[in-house]
Amino acid sequence: MPAFPYLFANSIFRINLITIAMMILTGLVVLIVLRLSIRKLDMRNPRGLQNLIEWAIDFTANMARDTMPSEQVVQWILPLAFTMVIFLFVANWLGLIATIAIHQQQPIPWLGITAQSLAMAHGEVPLFDSPTANMSMTLGMAVMVWVLSHAVGLRHPRQYFWHFVKNPLGIVEEFTNPLTHGMRLFGNIFAGEALAGAILTMPILFGVVPTGFPFLLIWLLYCGFVSTIQAYIFTILMTLYVGQKSFHGGVHHT
Amino acid sequence: MQVFELGTFLVSIVTFLIMFLIIKRYGFGPMAKMLEKRRLYVETQITDAEQNRLQAERFLTEQQQLLESARQQAKELLDTARIRADEMAREIVNDAQAESRRLLEENRQLIERERAEVLSGVMASVSGLTVELSEKLLRRSLSHEAHREMVEEAEKLLGELIC
Repeated sequence: MPAFPYLFANSIFRINLITIAMMILTGLVVLIVLRLSIRKLDMRNPRGLQNLIEWAIDFTANMARDTMPSEQVVQWILPLAFTMVIFLFVANWLGLIATIAIHQQQPIPWLGITAQSLAMAHGEVPLFDSPTANMSMTLGMAVMVWVLSHAVGLRHPRQYFWHFVKNPLGIVEEFTNPLTHGMRLFGNIFAGEALAGAILTMPILFGVVPTGFPFLLIWLLYCGFVSTIQAYIFTILMTLYVGQKSFHGGVHHT
Repeated sequence: MQVFELGTFLVSIVTFLIMFLIIKRYGFGPMAKMLEKRRLYVETQITDAEQNRLQAERFLTEQQQLLESARQQAKELLDTARIRADEMAREIVNDAQAESRRLLEENRQLIERERAEVLSGVMASVSGLTVELSEKLLRRSLSHEAHREMVEEAEKLLGELIC
């Protein structure tokens, strides 16, 4: 377990600074890419990055259309779904491209880096990491989606409650869905990073032959695939959960 | 070891929402606006094209009808003109025939009359001459009565001869 720097480390309300910083970085990357794509916005002859982003929007919209009952809901969820898919894609890939850690010998008490945690992490303090490799963050995303879906459902309270009366087991689903939703993303990304880290510690034979290199290459390719797929799955589940709670097929006025 | 971090959980939600709002406002918004504009543009273009096509079709049928009626009218005009021309020609021919017949008849009558006149003149002189000739031949004068009888006979015989 690496020694992440924490804010309010000793209280119940501790904040992983690296995760939050990486989220902000991810958001900035997404924003910069989008700003670059709309720099030379052309309605008739889209070119370059604009094409790519248009394709991504179209892809997200089709994904939402497959899982949601009406076009109105699709248009309503589209900004969030698009942001979610591109944000998670960038977030997952950031940890794949690089993880940076520094070796810190001195404990820094006000950041929660204590001697004990340093000893557990062999003095390794990560500075650059996937935000989605943090369980609290992915659960946060999942719970946010869960709250959103119920807020959408409560616009039609009668159908919302009737939905649970008809299907009492759906109440159990309401607890398992956000949990699996968040844990799936966290598990995939965390496992990817953990195994990549483990492969990196494989010995270098005679000081020149890196035995881990082929494994690392294969694993990183696989992780790239998983990172992309997980961003897609998280978003499609979000549209599915919100779509399930969109009663009366899109009477959403936003 | 605390695995679940409440602070990270809450702050990440807040961070994501802020990021989402910024991205929606400055990244996604202009693109979505452009896509909407393009969708509307394409839609209006398609509607316009459809309307134009319908209008063109309407014009075409109208023109075809107009052409058809014009053709019909021309044909009718031609037919009536032809009928009238035929009638006129027939009339002219009839008139001409009647005129020629009349002229022919007049001339024939004239010829007949002249011929009769000439014949009667000739007959009178021939009968006189005959009588005189017979007188000279016979060397005798005839009585006035006999003379008239002979002239009448001669005239009768001549008339038979001629006719």
